[in-house]
Amino acid sequence: MDILKRYSLPIFLVVLLVLPNLLDPRWQAIAITFLVFSVVALSEDIVLGKAGMFNMGHALFFGMGAYVTAILNAKFGWPILATIPVAVLVPALFGILFAGPIVHLRGDYLLVVTIGINIVFIQVLQNNLGGMTGGPNGIFGLDSLSLFGWQLTSQLATYYFAFIILLVTLGVMKNLEKSKAGRALHYLREDSLASESIGINTRTYKIFAFGLGAGLAGLAGTVFATQYSAVSPEAFNFMQSVLFFSIVLVGGSSIPGIFLGVFVMFILPEIFREFSTWRYFVFGFAMILTMILRPNGIWPATFGKIPKFLIKDSDHGA
Amino acid sequence: MDIFLQQLANGLTIGSMFALVALGYTMVYGVMKLINFAHGDMVAASAFIGLTIYTQVMGQSTSFGAVIAIFILAAACTACIGIALERFAYRPLREAPRLSAVVSALGASLVIQNGIMLVWGPQMRIFPPLVPEVYWDIGGVVVSLVQVLILGLSLILMVALYIFVEKTRIGAAIRASAIDQDASRLMGINVNNVIALIFIIGSSLGAVGGLFIALYYRGITFNMGWQYGLYAFIAAILGGIGNIPGAMLGGMMLGLFQAFIAGYVSSTWADAFTFILLILILIVRPTGLLGERVAEKV
Repeated sequence: MDILKRYSLPIFLVVLLVLPNLLDPRWQAIAITFLVFSVVALSEDIVLGKAGMFNMGHALFFGMGAYVTAILNAKFGWPILATIPVAVLVPALFGILFAGPIVHLRGDYLLVVTIGINIVFIQVLQNNLGGMTGGPNGIFGLDSLSLFGWQLTSQLATYYFAFIILLVTLGVMKNLEKSKAGRALHYLREDSLASESIGINTRTYKIFAFGLGAGLAGLAGTVFATQYSAVSPEAFNFMQSVLFFSIVLVGGSSIPGIFLGVFVMFILPEIFREFSTWRYFVFGFAMILTMILRPNGIWPATFGKIPKFLIKDSDHGA
Repeated sequence: MDIFLQQLANGLTIGSMFALVALGYTMVYGVMKLINFAHGDMVAASAFIGLTIYTQVMGQSTSFGAVIAIFILAAACTACIGIALERFAYRPLREAPRLSAVVSALGASLVIQNGIMLVWGPQMRIFPPLVPEVYWDIGGVVVSLVQVLILGLSLILMVALYIFVEKTRIGAAIRASAIDQDASRLMGINVNNVIALIFIIGSSLGAVGGLFIALYYRGITFNMGWQYGLYAFIAAILGGIGNIPGAMLGGMMLGLFQAFIAGYVSSTWADAFTFILLILILIVRPTGLLGERVAEKV
């Protein structure tokens, strides 16, 4: 079992590395979607799962990254890869500035405010503020990837671009788990008051989680804009945020759980296309059932290693 | 000045509909500390149920008795959905972590919303004019009979609810359960029955709100629950969620605010301004206008 645990993620990554060469173009596109949405769901996990803040507006940061890339590329002619730093920094800074005044709100109120800012964002995009966002149609006609003069137009190139960004995200998550910041987030999620009384600056770490999650989501946005060479407001609306929110919680806020959640939510509907009208009806039931049978998610995360003699009941640390 | 009075009339109408729906959110939150995301979709379901009762059961009659029957039957059906929701989606999760119940509520919302789509189809349906289309022109301000009825009936229902909760024994049981469920149980209150009752009252009020929305806007779609549910939910938060007069105040405020934004600025920005108002109020008063500051339980 230990061997399985240790090697499952590397094996999964190797599969992802080889996979696109075995797929036809339609399934390659679906595989890219899987990678991109996994990155967004993992970044939502930093805010919602790791820091325990009810964030139901995460599609906003995803969309902001995508729009930054689209605007810089289509209106100012920047190459796609050069837009990455801006597409990470703008959502991250926005996340930090936005989180500043609101992180002290009690859980449900925070949920409403994040829903709200997502809807404001969509309305700003649709009303074409400053003539930059292209209104309801969005922006289209983005360049394909290019590196040192090489044109990487194939879908395979986009896939590996998405794959590298997934690796970066997983790296950040692994690092976070073992670092001071990750432990602080874990404590403040378990008990905000207690963590504050042992000297953790909860406010700083909450804002940090928002900034980090937003930045990674923005990075995923760049890939998303590259894949479709277009962006439009509907892709980032509040329903999308609800899906990411549910994926993290149904998955159990662990890395395999989130992959599973993204797969069920976005890839299964592609396999069962003829039942597409039943999609959300079935998902709704699945969400209720999962929560009743496994309230902590399908694959609950465990944090760190607790000595066996300290564990009284098996669901500790979940 | 004409615009002002006209938007005042419109704002009071939509505000009273928001308030009716907001009461369902706020009562459930007050006792269960759960945002019932499916409430908006029950509101939408009630409009569709009303439509079907009108065409299938009442034979498209718009007589006074038939309209009353449509309202009562639709409210009863929606209340049944509410009870089923509580029994199967929320009760098993009462001891579970807070977020599990939130996900269950989101799932229930998807089920109801897409259930409506599977039964009645994805296209917009036109709700019949159950009320005679009478308009009065009062010094340049046009007021319709529908508006007067919506405002009047909403006010009557809200006052009745307030008296019920504040003055009766059952109301006292509801208030006690909202403060402390365990202590209420020790005092001999059957908290399960109180919660079921709250879902009945909240769903029926929401159903009436849904029929009002259908009567006022005429076009109904399967996903309108999210839209109006969200407004009503904001209204509940504005007033301080869990607080019944707060939901009424929040609903009226939100209705007037949206009407004035639509009248003076632009309706394409109404949502954005609504949420900016909400965010500003929550930054200044983190528990809403009438919400009490609750010390965190340790």
